[in-house]
Amino acid sequence: MRKHLHRYSRLGVAALAMLPLLLAGCATAPRDYMAIANRPNQVSLIDLEDRKVLRTCPLPGRFGAGTLQMSPDKRTAYVLTNQFENIYGVDLDTCEITFSAIQSEGNTRIKTTAAFAVSQDGTELYVHQNPSLLLRDRYEVQEPRLAVYRIADGLKAKPVRTYSAPRQVIVMQTGNDGTLYLGGSDIYAMDAATGKYTLKLASRSRQEPRYSQRDVLSIWPLGQQSGEFIRMYTAQRFADETRKPETAELMWGYERIDLATGEATTGDFGPLDVVLFSGMTRPHHPNEMFGALSQLQKFDIAKQQLVKSVDLGHSYYCVNFSSDGSKVYLAGTYNDIAIYDADTLEKLGNIQLPGGDQSLATAQVFPRTP
Amino acid sequence: MKKAHIWPALCLALMPFLPAQANEALLRHNCGACHADPANPEAPLSRISEQRKSPEGWEMTLHRMQTIHGVQLSDPDGKSDSAGVLFQLLKHLSDTHGLAPAETVGLRYTLERRHNTVDIPEDAEYAVMCTRCHSNARVALQRRTEPEWRNLIHFHLAQFPTTEYQIGGRDREWFPIAIERTLPMLAAAFPLQTAEWEAWQKAAKPALAGRWRVTGRMAGKGDFNGVMTATAGNADSYSVALVGEFSGGEPLEMEGDSVVYTGFEWRGNLRADAAGDKEQYLQVLEASADGSALTGRMFPFDHPERGIDLQARRDDGTPRLLAVSPAYLKRGTTATLTVSGSALSGAPLLGAGLTVNRIVSRDADRVVLEVTAAADAPTGARTIGVGKASLPAALTVFSTVERVEVSPAYTVGRVGGKEGSQPEVQGRFEAIAWTNGPDGTPGTADDLRIGPVKAQWSVAPWNEKAAKDRDIEFAGSIDKDSGIFAPAAAGPNPARKQSTNNAGNLKVIATVGEGESAVRGEGQLLVTVQRWINPPLW
Repeated sequence: MRKHLHRYSRLGVAALAMLPLLLAGCATAPRDYMAIANRPNQVSLIDLEDRKVLRTCPLPGRFGAGTLQMSPDKRTAYVLTNQFENIYGVDLDTCEITFSAIQSEGNTRIKTTAAFAVSQDGTELYVHQNPSLLLRDRYEVQEPRLAVYRIADGLKAKPVRTYSAPRQVIVMQTGNDGTLYLGGSDIYAMDAATGKYTLKLASRSRQEPRYSQRDVLSIWPLGQQSGEFIRMYTAQRFADETRKPETAELMWGYERIDLATGEATTGDFGPLDVVLFSGMTRPHHPNEMFGALSQLQKFDIAKQQLVKSVDLGHSYYCVNFSSDGSKVYLAGTYNDIAIYDADTLEKLGNIQLPGGDQSLATAQVFPRTP
Repeated sequence: MKKAHIWPALCLALMPFLPAQANEALLRHNCGACHADPANPEAPLSRISEQRKSPEGWEMTLHRMQTIHGVQLSDPDGKSDSAGVLFQLLKHLSDTHGLAPAETVGLRYTLERRHNTVDIPEDAEYAVMCTRCHSNARVALQRRTEPEWRNLIHFHLAQFPTTEYQIGGRDREWFPIAIERTLPMLAAAFPLQTAEWEAWQKAAKPALAGRWRVTGRMAGKGDFNGVMTATAGNADSYSVALVGEFSGGEPLEMEGDSVVYTGFEWRGNLRADAAGDKEQYLQVLEASADGSALTGRMFPFDHPERGIDLQARRDDGTPRLLAVSPAYLKRGTTATLTVSGSALSGAPLLGAGLTVNRIVSRDADRVVLEVTAAADAPTGARTIGVGKASLPAALTVFSTVERVEVSPAYTVGRVGGKEGSQPEVQGRFEAIAWTNGPDGTPGTADDLRIGPVKAQWSVAPWNEKAAKDRDIEFAGSIDKDSGIFAPAAAGPNPARKQSTNNAGNLKVIATVGEGESAVRGEGQLLVTVQRWINPPLW
């Protein structure tokens, strides 16, 4: 049951949630949880329905980046920490550390920006590595690579396969068919069994007569709640192909891979008035794009219009949603999660985290049984 | 508040001095573990022998070796502690692998901590690759072999992996461009071996002991006029006393030491203990090749923005005129002018239309005159003389202030203090008066620069957003007489929207004169958050 739950979440958890009610005596109705890392270096499991931090588990080493991906059964959180070097698997129900990828070894220092993902069957962890040799009197930057770890190797995991990979990969996600998507200067699709990769969605290399080069800042592997691997771009859109600067409009756009079908889509979703850090589409409302930083903004993708914008109490980096799409969760920076109504953008409340700043951490929301 | 005196090494004078050979042995003792070739121990030290840079550049390298690589500096003979060894290595490296004076021309702003300087390189790609983070001078004050420039590029990405993900990095193939295009450019523009360095190594280095007549200017305090005495100590070090006053009457009296690196880089460490002011000042001066002049800036360690521009001229008994303060006089008015120089004797010579009413006081260093400019005195900059000494363009006679420029036109102040580790960074402004010249049009070649004049200072929101966010209420305040802007305290402010910092985007307004004849000038002050990394070279 657990293994399959995540699939149904995309079909509509509201309907699914009714199921256990029909089963007399069954107390295992799935509900939404959030996993998030913060300072000093810990990861918390939050019951989003009760708005309560259930458990906070300490992590080894120093904080950062706090990027987080969930196992398919939603029991284990994989967190990038120790200053972008180690990935730990933490059982969120017991705080036991069941897996570790200690990447640096000997005189090779390896940093991962925020690019790692878990295979669909939960057996492998894919990590984009930026290695450097620390020599006696100098450094030598090495070619980046994609390392595959076997999760069953637990605390002694070492890469079981490595492949050459593009530079500047910053986020990754696995599709339902097992394809690994690498978000770098473009989005690439990699066969994790062979390491062969192809261009999936042109971003920096895109040539569009009416647009400037796109800029993408995406350090948060978000979108699973809407069945997508998504990142936002900014670009100047000119009136025509003569590209006169005075005709330029600053636009927000999305680059999206449908995790179920593998379909890649991209396009503008609205005017750029304020800087946003992360965004995703609302579950069950594929035409609604949400983004946040100092404001929470909601866009109509088809009309390329800003629908509503509200000022936030402070900056939040990371957008996510309840499974039914009714609530927006904002995380990143400070030590609180803000909850907003996805229809009205009215504030519904806050959840305080123990500890300090979430910084660049990724908040993952997922339904599971308690 | 914590004081962050993290870069005092350049000023540790009066340490034991060793002959060059002994310094080389000290260098090998401390750096050889990583930089000597085990297979060929006599070979030049790797990397160290392949680069040259300023004393501050070497200071940063030695600092990094200690903080990042855990180097414990030690003296095998036990004569010096680690601070003493640090200084000896700095001196030795700067002397043997420094820069020639000609190699620092146009780039001294970063040595002198003139952080308002805008220096955008013409090469647009280099401007993004290097100077999006560093000043152009930080790069251009280094000389390396091509392999050594390559090492520096590898260091950047290995030590700061986000370089290729940041704005200006992620829009391009940063690392391939750095290796394929920036590297050859740097190697060609800034090679290890240069004719300038070869010549400077052979050149005689001037001794700088003696009596120096010092003139200068500090925004907020006015013109400076004083005497600096340098007494030779151990090789290349001096005991220094500086006595003088600002045109507003404020005295300045300091004592300390200086060390001369690379034969011309004077670094003084002065304190004004006598006045109860414990603030430490760093002097960054460049000695002229003939040893007759020292030029540069001095500033408190913690507050480089509070600097005094200095020019010192050796008093060798030759009559010399150095400055007139104030350096302007309005037609039809009477003013007191201080003429500064050395060995001054004889009659003041002011030229047509100016009358010396009386000599208020005089000695060999300065002559104070009460002068009246006739209503029809010729306008423009003119030569002023006292006896045999004269100085071209020493005084500007003008009729009307027609334009005021706020200087700097754009600057950055920073919130600070409170419980934070970083002191605040003030904005310091001057009102520079101009006439529009005979053509009456501002901004043309015939405009006449009158100079820094008294003004009334105020701030206003720079734009609509600054007005809406009430920046002027939060960002700090400007002293209406001195033009010194004191930024507000650091940290989130719950009274502001989104608890933001006391940042602000302000218009700085100088008003010269009163009523209908008042002339206004405007500058921009961006008050922003602290800068957390403050090495000697930006």
